[in-house]
Amino acid sequence: MKASVLVFAGSLLLPAASFAQGINDAQIAKIVVTANQVDIDAGKLASSKSTNPEVKKFAQTMVTDHAGVNKQAVDLVTKLGVKPEDNDTAKSLADGGKANLDNLKTLKGKDFDKAYIDHEVAYHQAVLDAVDKTLIPGAKNDQLKALLVKVRPAFVAHLDHAKHIQGTLSK
Amino acid sequence: MTPVTRTPFERARTILLAALGAAAIVAAPGAAAGPARHTVTIDATAFTPADLTVKAGDTVIWVNKDPYPHTATSKTGGFDSDDIKTGKSWKFVAKKKGDFPYICSIHPSMKGTLHVQ
Repeated sequence: MKASVLVFAGSLLLPAASFAQGINDAQIAKIVVTANQVDIDAGKLASSKSTNPEVKKFAQTMVTDHAGVNKQAVDLVTKLGVKPEDNDTAKSLADGGKANLDNLKTLKGKDFDKAYIDHEVAYHQAVLDAVDKTLIPGAKNDQLKALLVKVRPAFVAHLDHAKHIQGTLSK
Repeated sequence: MTPVTRTPFERARTILLAALGAAAIVAAPGAAAGPARHTVTIDATAFTPADLTVKAGDTVIWVNKDPYPHTATSKTGGFDSDDIKTGKSWKFVAKKKGDFPYICSIHPSMKGTLHVQ
């Protein structure tokens, strides 16, 4: 599991770094929407499948928060007339999200909780890295950049929260 | 000078505006003398100001400007907003004196302190 998390986290960053200079707002929009959707899907599975109250509550927060970000992102790009454009980073996010779901579906109990939370830690670290190195520097529209800056601290809060739960699960 | 002819609607509107103006004049000194209202803005997953000092009896209003819910929850201060949804606010009358640290129970890394004097 640990290896697959690392492979996935790496796959998110490599394509992002390769076109950091040339990324456009339509591609950023697709990455943002996909990144949120991937975490919403994992959160939905975990909130129904986990029996640990803390993990369930965290998963529900992921569903609510990332859906909130996506609603704002979609409202904004619709207003701006930007049509989200698929790209390698968005594709690797979607593939990684599917691989994570496939893996989680084979697990239950404490193994499930640990795999879900481990992945949430790695995922939020990878997404924050992409937000800082690629998405915020690459965003050309001021409102899109402002939205990324505004939601970034929530991802930090999620990462801190996931790390805290990770600590309690390993005891 | 031509006399101004007013329709009943215009007369009603003039009376209404005058009444509202009078109400505002009456309300203003009253508000200044009574308990104050303070606003804490919740934006970008942070309480602003994070540190707020009020007098006992004042009202504190938390306004959520983020696209997801937050709470203002203090065990020692005896207040818990429960979920404050996007664009909504929650009011609390600070009666007990003291320094009350609070968090967002959904995002526990969000911290603030309410000082009631």
